[in-house]
Amino acid sequence: MLNRTMLLTLLACPVWLLFAGQAALANEPYRELDRPRAYTPDVKGDARFSDTYRYWKDRSRLDPAMAGNPDEYWKLNWKFMDPPFNQAIHGGHFAMDHGETRFMSLNRTHSFARCLGAGKQGLKGLRAGYPRYVARLGRVAGLEEMIEHCAAKEGVVMQNGSYDNSAVALYIASHSNGMPIRIQVSKGPMRQAFERGRLLYHTRSGRQNFACASCHVHNTGKHLRGNNITTPFGDASHYPVYRTRYELQSLHLRMIECQLDTGAQPLLPGSRAYTDLEVFLTALSNGYPVAVPTERD
Amino acid sequence: MRNLLSFALIGLALVLPAQAQQMAPGFPGDAAVDLGQEKKTLKPRVVPNSGRLEWMPAERDLTSWTTLSHLDQRDARRPQRVTLEEPLAGNPMRGRDIAMAKSRGNCVACHELPGDPWPGTVGNSLLNYQRRGMSDARVYQQIYDARIFNPQTVMPPYGTNNLLNEQELRDLVAYLQNLE
Ligand code: HEC
Ligand code: HEC
Repeated sequence: MLNRTMLLTLLACPVWLLFAGQAALANEPYRELDRPRAYTPDVKGDARFSDTYRYWKDRSRLDPAMAGNPDEYWKLNWKFMDPPFNQAIHGGHFAMDHGETRFMSLNRTHSFARCLGAGKQGLKGLRAGYPRYVARLGRVAGLEEMIEHCAAKEGVVMQNGSYDNSAVALYIASHSNGMPIRIQVSKGPMRQAFERGRLLYHTRSGRQNFACASCHVHNTGKHLRGNNITTPFGDASHYPVYRTRYELQSLHLRMIECQLDTGAQPLLPGSRAYTDLEVFLTALSNGYPVAVPTERD
Repeated sequence: MRNLLSFALIGLALVLPAQAQQMAPGFPGDAAVDLGQEKKTLKPRVVPNSGRLEWMPAERDLTSWTTLSHLDQRDARRPQRVTLEEPLAGNPMRGRDIAMAKSRGNCVACHELPGDPWPGTVGNSLLNYQRRGMSDARVYQQIYDARIFNPQTVMPPYGTNNLLNEQELRDLVAYLQNLE
């Protein structure tokens, strides 16, 4: 069996690193990977993956007739809204208002927005460029991790995954509505995070020995009981999402849900592994417009 | 108060991975656990209008299988070849219950079985399984650890990962071998 280091070394490292990688092999814990594959870091990559992109690339032209057909529904990849697809006011709107209030009180001196990386454009486009490498922290960070970090600098507790944190993330994301996700994963720490995320997505864990890819890649479109498994492309641009059962759910909390559902010990929001997965999933949403607030059951 | 306590403990696990390691060598410090809880594994609860994420005990303790953490130094369980001691001594009725119950076998999540209105399609249909003419030992191994036949299978290794005990596996074999 290949393990993480071997694959990472083979795929991502220059030749001189191969030796360092092999030296580390002996200490690397045994892991099984579920058929790793290559991905184009753009939502268009789905055309060669599940080939459903043509049905959902243009939101204004979604075909509600497909939504009525249980065998076709998953192809719509309509993950920003559940049937009956009404645009009514929902909890996500209230959360966004709450986020605005919290943001305003944090940003009285503008240092909060600056800390998040807001420039002349203000909050516009900020969401579309996260996760990103943050030199100050010396690591790649998602928007929610930065909100926690920058709020702490203002003396406010806003834990990653908490309602307030996700509400502020929603408010910030609303300034990028309609703008395509645009993160660079072609070089440096972001490329490394994407690579780690890609392999983690294919790494088995938990009591049932599933990888994310066991469902989302190798069984796309199949039925798991009442659920139909959808493509991992276009997953990231509508988060945090308002869930009728979970209040506000950030992307890391959604990962926790899938892990608990499949009997895998979850990690804390903001953990390195979840951030790597977030980079991977967000890159697969590159070119897809930010859309908040969203509601799902 | 209990939730406050959880926080304190998560905080500890974060800054002191050694704390977690007392439980099992190589257990990662960034897992959502509370070692003071009986089930250890935590699930999050989002509290409206709060800057804190609450944690509650999950349905089951998941700490003994590997996680996705980069800090997890434990080995995953390797494929296991087993021999079935005859006689089978399985109970098909009990096997049926195990196959259908979400919290036990949950075989219907992936396989079509008689009497289930929402069959999964990840695995092949097991209707009329008796007609395949498989040996009990073959079916037992498939459920115990299917990786022996297909290293890339998505079917969980029910025996190796202790999802079901030996008698439950025997009951399942008896159930399948009786599906006419
Ligand atoms: C046993 C199957 C299974 C496994 C394993 C699994 N998921 Fe899921 N996942 C689902 C199902 C079913 C849904 C709900 C249907 C949907 O939205 O596609 C879902 C939904 C999601 C969503 C929400 C999509 C959206 O845009 O709303 C994300 C994100 C996600 N999974 C990520 C992951 C990650 C990351 C992992 C691994 C840590 C993982 N999943 C493991 C079955 C699984
Ligand atoms: C997550 C999906 C999944 C679950 C849950 C699952 N299986 Fe399977 N099963 C498969 C797949 C896929 C195959 C096809 C062969 C392979 O890949 O191992 C299979 C194959 C089989 C076979 C061999 C079929 C044949 O053609 O001879 C048997 C028997 C079987 N499963 C029984 C069970 C039983 C009993 C359970 C529950 C205790 C179960 N499975 C749960 C996915 C699953």
